[in-house]
Amino acid sequence: MLIIGEKLSIIAKRVREAMMAKDKGPIQEIATRQWKEGSGIIDANIGPAEDGGEDLMQWMVTTIQEVVPLPVCLDTTNFSAIEAGLKVHNNQWGKALINSTSNDPERFPILELGAKYNCDVIGLTVGNRGLPADADERAAIAAEIMGRAMEYGLPLENLYLDPLVLQIATTQDQARHVIEAVKLFQHINEPPMKTVVGLSNISNGCPKALRPILNKHLFVLLMDAGLTAAIADAKEMAEVMEEKQLILDVYHGKEIEDKQKMSEIKKTLDVILGNTLYAHSYLEM
Amino acid sequence: MAFTAPKESYAGKVYSVTIGTGDKAATIGGENVLSFHSFEGETPNRPLVAFEIQDVPPTDWPENVRKVFDGVSDDPVKWAKYCQDELKAKAIALRLVGTHPDRENRSAEDAAKTVREVLAAISVPLIILGSNHAEKDSSVLIAAAEAAKDKNCIIGKAQEANYKTIAAAAMANNHKLIAMSELDINLSKQLNILITQMGFDKERIITDPMCSALGYGLEYTYSVMERIRLAALTQNDQTMQQPLLADVGMYVWKVKESQAPESDLPQWGAAEERGILWEAETATALLIAGAELLIMRHPRAAAAVESVIEELV
Amino acid sequence: MALSGVEIFKLLPKTNCKKCGQPTCLAFAMKLAQRQATLDLCPDVSEEAKQKLGEASAPPVRPITLGSGDKAVKMGEETVLFRHDKKFVNPCVFALEVKDTLSEADIAAFCNQVVDSEMDRVGQKLRVNAIMISNESGDAAKLEAAAKTVAAKAAGVPVIINTTNAQAAETAVKLFADKKPLLFGANASNLEAMAAVAKSNKASLGISAASLEELSELTEKAKGFGVEDLVLDSGARKAKDMIEHNTLVRRAAIKKNFKPLGFPVISFAQRGDSLLEALVASVCIAKYSSIVVLSSIEKWKNLALFTLRQNIYTDPQVPMQVEQKIYNIGDPKADAPLFVTTNFSLTYFIVSGEIENSKVSCRLAVMDSEGLSVLTAWAAGKFTATKIAAFIQESGIDKEMATKELIIPGYVAILSGSIEEKLPGWKITVGPREANAIPAFLKSRA
Repeated sequence: MLIIGEKLSIIAKRVREAMMAKDKGPIQEIATRQWKEGSGIIDANIGPAEDGGEDLMQWMVTTIQEVVPLPVCLDTTNFSAIEAGLKVHNNQWGKALINSTSNDPERFPILELGAKYNCDVIGLTVGNRGLPADADERAAIAAEIMGRAMEYGLPLENLYLDPLVLQIATTQDQARHVIEAVKLFQHINEPPMKTVVGLSNISNGCPKALRPILNKHLFVLLMDAGLTAAIADAKEMAEVMEEKQLILDVYHGKEIEDKQKMSEIKKTLDVILGNTLYAHSYLEM
Repeated sequence: MAFTAPKESYAGKVYSVTIGTGDKAATIGGENVLSFHSFEGETPNRPLVAFEIQDVPPTDWPENVRKVFDGVSDDPVKWAKYCQDELKAKAIALRLVGTHPDRENRSAEDAAKTVREVLAAISVPLIILGSNHAEKDSSVLIAAAEAAKDKNCIIGKAQEANYKTIAAAAMANNHKLIAMSELDINLSKQLNILITQMGFDKERIITDPMCSALGYGLEYTYSVMERIRLAALTQNDQTMQQPLLADVGMYVWKVKESQAPESDLPQWGAAEERGILWEAETATALLIAGAELLIMRHPRAAAAVESVIEELV
Repeated sequence: MALSGVEIFKLLPKTNCKKCGQPTCLAFAMKLAQRQATLDLCPDVSEEAKQKLGEASAPPVRPITLGSGDKAVKMGEETVLFRHDKKFVNPCVFALEVKDTLSEADIAAFCNQVVDSEMDRVGQKLRVNAIMISNESGDAAKLEAAAKTVAAKAAGVPVIINTTNAQAAETAVKLFADKKPLLFGANASNLEAMAAVAKSNKASLGISAASLEELSELTEKAKGFGVEDLVLDSGARKAKDMIEHNTLVRRAAIKKNFKPLGFPVISFAQRGDSLLEALVASVCIAKYSSIVVLSSIEKWKNLALFTLRQNIYTDPQVPMQVEQKIYNIGDPKADAPLFVTTNFSLTYFIVSGEIENSKVSCRLAVMDSEGLSVLTAWAAGKFTATKIAAFIQESGIDKEMATKELIIPGYVAILSGSIEEKLPGWKITVGPREANAIPAFLKSRA
């Protein structure tokens, strides 16, 4: 499993301030920590970056790669910022990853960039007409993106399909569709397509204490479904390995010794799989 | 291929909730199937339509619904009696809108007095609503709940910001409680959990997932209600088995379609009929989605809804 | 259930030979699933696959078109029982009943009402879709005369011929032979004759029965007579029975793939009281009717019924959008605050509701962000400083304001500096993150 370290995001206050001030210290500290925690790629999320996106992305890529021998995931909707980042990306540490294209024609040029710079591209399985309702709709969009990738000369092995993890607190039903989609995506090509998710979005809007619990359980279910990569908190994902077997045991209906743990796992799986309605206090019920 | 009716039976059931006292008490809920699906289960009680009145004259209601109450709406007691005796209302919803700090800013004591007077004048169940000002409602509804002690009213609306005081007041004075959240099924469940965690009986709650008018987000309320009911029935979710409230009149009689004069918009047709239908149709759609308790304003809209309920049961 | 693209793909040869005109077998499978391609384009498909695809590719509720030309309406093709699961596909048809006992002038007046019923709402053209001509008189000549009047006065409007008399049906349906009318009135006693009329005039056939059991038998018989496009009438006339029958029909078709009931349903909402009729029609809209027959179509009634149909048939996956513009809430004067937010309808309803709740008159600038909520729109690059600044600039709202101040959602506080740069002379104020904090926010400013 490839972990794409998620912590360098403009949404986080400390990162945002460092980006604005072009202060390398915090960026490099966070990048290094994520590398040590097991990240294989470092995500650089600079937001829509309307003003000065090119400079900012170049600065992020070089700042990260100065201290960490890893490729960078260029995460922005700003096309020219991505291209600027690719120009300075040090491919010695591996291929850059672009986040993301989709089935929205506005996003197709990203595929061209992927082909031109021989990097990997995340294909978000959404179109420009609302969210996909289920796994089948995601697979249909995936097929469209794959066809488009071939058209633009991006090899399918450079494409990561992303089924779009949504917030459990507002769109609970989608969690099980995402798991199903990860399974489906692997069936639609030989060799199987690579898959990726933005994991932590599942717990966006949930109470702080719940977030790692939900993240970890979804991660285990997705791993079980054959997921290739996740944009996630590397530290959290390293911790999952201890609980993985317990979660899978409960998932497969086995009893585990720690009854309190078992109840927590069961309740969380029920919420993710849509068997009970989510509420912030679901663990207390 | 022979046909066999694909009937469903569900694990869960909606709580029966009785409001009011004496022979005019009313019970809602109790079904173990989707609305009006009596062909496959129990639907022991009809939905209840409550007539909305206010503690202050309805100066902000559009003319076409305000004029119906000319001569009685200057006094909540007269207004309540008119609804009960002339319009045959089976329940009254008294909205204490005059307590809102930006309206008449009536005091909690004044509100309590109005509640006492209205209760003395009617025998049908009373629903007591605040002005939807989270802070002021806390004090107003405490006073109102005390004034109505043991009359088995519904007090509302408890929201995330003020549920503790309002639920405590409803509990101390033996009332039912409306728990309202804003078009979010998960927050609706969460609020019910929080209220029951205070020791409030889950079978004394009425859930208000927030109403929206036809053409103005009705489909959201419709689907949230449908999903709440499905969670109650299919998942036997005990935090979602409360009867549902649709507070229809307040949301309908502020949209353009319920009041724009025909002279401005000839293609929309007669304004009075349009407003009445707008209210009745919003109510009917939400009845189908799962509402058991409706709060309505226009007597003709309420009467039409009673007629369609008559056809549905 | 119809097969998904992926399921179809598994049955294809997976050679990516491109002979079908598609780049990959997968792409071809997706086209097949969307019925934009047919299986015969694939030269290498196995017999087994052909058979499986043929059986399973039929949708659970058969698609049927009523009428022809630009006023034709599609019915059926539904895939779910609840609108939150997936979009209800083909909005129900409203049909006005016109009885052949009416005078020619009255029939013409009804036709005019139908033709004039079209209106725009939220960018969609809505109308009463069809006319049902009922053989109330029992007289074939009167039915024919009425049909002729309708054909002349409501040209192009899809037609339903309602009679149980096969001879009368023949003369009336013939008038619309190439226009895909619906012949309604087949039953156990006249099925063969009615089916023959429908078949020879390429009409759909509406079948009535006294129960769902009988109805299932009759549809199978009709197919035996060579008519495939059927519309169901279970005999339900009371709203309670409509809910029961329509629910059972929809469940049988979708959950059991029960083909004899896999057709659109017609419901009769006519009532003596127009208001009650509208409410019964509302029940039909919500609960699975494909055709709702009405006895009157006043403008006020149409507006409400069109709106409910639109609400129920809205795609739950596509956020409903409100029009981009600056909305007045209350009676804003020159010193009224100006908020900006996105055009996701729920965002709009909740923000405007909270502003109303505060009892402070305000302006609310709603910006087209493709129906996304504030944070999502920002992340997707649809609610950015440049776009917000351009929208405010182009609106010209500053001319009506005493002080140029714009309140932005707390979630995009990060944009305040950038908007200020792009909107010279404006003060940008960061408002609350959540709408429910707006009343307190406004109060603190007063």
